[in-house]
Amino acid sequence: MLNRTEVPDIKTIDSLDLPHVEKMALDNGIPLYIINSGEQDVVKLDFVFEAGKWYEPKNLLADFVNRMMREGVKGKTAKEVADIFEFYGCNLESSVSFTSAGFQLYSLSKHLPAVLPLMMEVFTEASFPEDEFATMLNNRKQKHTERLAKNDYVANRNFLSAMWGKTHPYGRVTEFEDFENVTTDMLRDYYRKYYNAANCFIIVSGKMDDTLIKSLNTIFGSKSWIGDRAPADIEHLIGPSPQLRQHTDKKDSVQSTVMIGNACINKYHPDFDKLSVVNTVFGGYFGSRLMANIREDKGYTYGIYSSLSSYHHGGIFEISADVGKVVAESTISEIRNEIELMRNDLIDEDELETVKNYLIGRMMRSIDGAMKYADVYKGLILYGRDAGYLNDYLKVIQNITANEIRDLSVRYLDFDKMYKVTVG
Amino acid sequence: MIHFEEIILPNGLKILVHEDPTTPLAAVNILYKVGARDEDPSRTGFAHLFEHFMFEGSVNVPDFDTQLQLAGGENNAFTSNDITNYYDILPAVNLETAFWLESDRMLSLDFNLESLETQKRVVCEEFKEHYINQPYGDVWHKLSALAYKVHPYMWPTIGKELSHVENAHMDDVKAFFYKYYRPRNAVMVVAGGIKTKDVEKLANKWFGEIPSGDLITHQLPQEPIQTEARVLDIHADVPLNAIYKSYPMCDRRHADYQTTDMIRDMLSTGDSSRLYHELVKEKKIFSSVAAYLSETIDAGMFILEGKLNPGVTMEEADKALVDCAMGLADTLSDSELQKVKNKTEAFLIFSETNVLNRAMNLAYYDMLGNAADINNEIDKYLSVTNNQIKTVAQNIFDKNKCSTVRYFAK
Repeated sequence: MLNRTEVPDIKTIDSLDLPHVEKMALDNGIPLYIINSGEQDVVKLDFVFEAGKWYEPKNLLADFVNRMMREGVKGKTAKEVADIFEFYGCNLESSVSFTSAGFQLYSLSKHLPAVLPLMMEVFTEASFPEDEFATMLNNRKQKHTERLAKNDYVANRNFLSAMWGKTHPYGRVTEFEDFENVTTDMLRDYYRKYYNAANCFIIVSGKMDDTLIKSLNTIFGSKSWIGDRAPADIEHLIGPSPQLRQHTDKKDSVQSTVMIGNACINKYHPDFDKLSVVNTVFGGYFGSRLMANIREDKGYTYGIYSSLSSYHHGGIFEISADVGKVVAESTISEIRNEIELMRNDLIDEDELETVKNYLIGRMMRSIDGAMKYADVYKGLILYGRDAGYLNDYLKVIQNITANEIRDLSVRYLDFDKMYKVTVG
Repeated sequence: MIHFEEIILPNGLKILVHEDPTTPLAAVNILYKVGARDEDPSRTGFAHLFEHFMFEGSVNVPDFDTQLQLAGGENNAFTSNDITNYYDILPAVNLETAFWLESDRMLSLDFNLESLETQKRVVCEEFKEHYINQPYGDVWHKLSALAYKVHPYMWPTIGKELSHVENAHMDDVKAFFYKYYRPRNAVMVVAGGIKTKDVEKLANKWFGEIPSGDLITHQLPQEPIQTEARVLDIHADVPLNAIYKSYPMCDRRHADYQTTDMIRDMLSTGDSSRLYHELVKEKKIFSSVAAYLSETIDAGMFILEGKLNPGVTMEEADKALVDCAMGLADTLSDSELQKVKNKTEAFLIFSETNVLNRAMNLAYYDMLGNAADINNEIDKYLSVTNNQIKTVAQNIFDKNKCSTVRYFAK
């Protein structure tokens, strides 16, 4: 008879086996990072431009430019552009964040050469047709109307604008009139200024051969496309609201969205990596303090998480949950209690070991496969880091102590200074 | 090509092993052949509530999640109308922890009353978050109840109403467990940086002595053929007018399934797709459109949906959707067919890049009848002809078989 109380041994992971990344420069200087591995004949291309919301002179511009780049290029309509990518089974995804903006092109290795020239046309020959722009504006306004009906969207808006101020890119709130204030001339101007070779890097991941690398250089390495770097000196004033507690009443809601948090350090700060472990303990994974108390013990919510986000000009620590309307206030006081426990008590060894092993396992999952690793690697490049950072971070996780966790909680988790936003 | 080996334990548990030496991770997936379709109509939402309860402690393990996290792993589960699927992904060196945990909860649960009460509250909040406190959140309830009059697909997995979840009883939980959560009613897949011979040893050690249970046959009332269009109008506090149209489609094992899925793709995947191009871009009737399948094992739903632009009447919107879908049969070109084949091929190959996906898909194909069919799927799509698309499209988009839900914004 098997003794089921005899728990299998657990092996700890001491280092990560990182895929090899080859670095080179295209003829026009674009850095190209190559992660060549995988069993399936597929490739992902990440084109990253410093063209995010930080640089936009008008709200929505960064997003609209990125979207409109595929809505027609010189000599081809939006439909023709879409038809070509899709005929070859390619998936073209857009991403716009605060700093960077760009595209991820997913393709079977065999079809990629057929679409690369079109991808370059998107970067250099976008035509920004008025009628397509009008359609996009209408659809975006409709989407905005839909979003405003969701508590979590409204809460997020109120939360970020209270923290950063409505004119700061991290706190900017979209109003209907913003849609009227953008013209195709502005799109063209922004496009020329930010979507150029000097402002770009490329990561190619998946299964490939040298021919592909040569074509990437032939097509995207063109010297006529260099342009200027994005200006490094753009600053935005932070205008935090003095009102820490904000509530928007939705009388028909059966739940309330609760968001609590504050502006915080970012990855440039030496405490950030350790603080990310603190966040994990507190609310960053399914076994966290918040989840154990507010979901698994009280049953107030389907899920509650905290997160620590880093942007180039600041960070955000936030807790969010959709909870039963009648338990919204109890949830807030439980969050306060959990913060006090983080600040006052030392985490016990078992819990700390669980968090460490969980985080290291999560790192392993995040780099499993060339295309996933490309996402992680992109994050490293954006902060001027190389792959060695990942094993350094693993050491940080392994070595953090209960005392450090308590001290960092005291320094960074202060309920009284946090914004508390509820909608519902 | 996904290669795998099969192990069957004396108690009937089937284990498929897929070795992938390129990953240091292991995925463990257990599919139980029970879903919302197996529920009593007066106690709906039960299979899903039960899924939550599976994490609330087993005979020897008080907390499933903590133990798996301690081993560097992560897990989750989902319930559909047909199945309940659990998965763990962890460093392959700690594979045995997943065997210990999964086998213990297949052996027997802790059946803690307090945990059941808490999970009922959690599921009620999940119900509210996704189905009540969202604009159009009730559409799945309304549409499935309109489209199915007999088959248990008439209720969604979350349950017909909150009270069904609230009234769940521990006796039902126990009976459900001993009926459905037995080795003979499960299929397990272990994939990743592991060896078949190690899996075999671990399987015998941890799962070998679990009583096999009875083989379950699903005897479900089949939906009669619909002969008249059904329409439900809802005047609600939603931001935009919206329309949802559901048409009956074939079951998952039917030879027309891949053709039907390609029709869905032609209508609504990507900017070049028909609904998007014709109705959003050209005619500007909708601000967003979609087509999707309910992806059930028994005969399913083919759904078209759209959010109306201001000034467009519901009748215009309805006609535009139908005309566009019907138009497929008249205007299909060889290059459009080739486009969808290329897209599908890419989609299926991309989905194989992830070891957990491969594990889940193997379990699903095995449940459908034969795990090896996973490797025939691409060819099934690639062999679909122009004429098949036309015939199947004409069959599906029959106005007398349509169920329509229309939302009028207050």
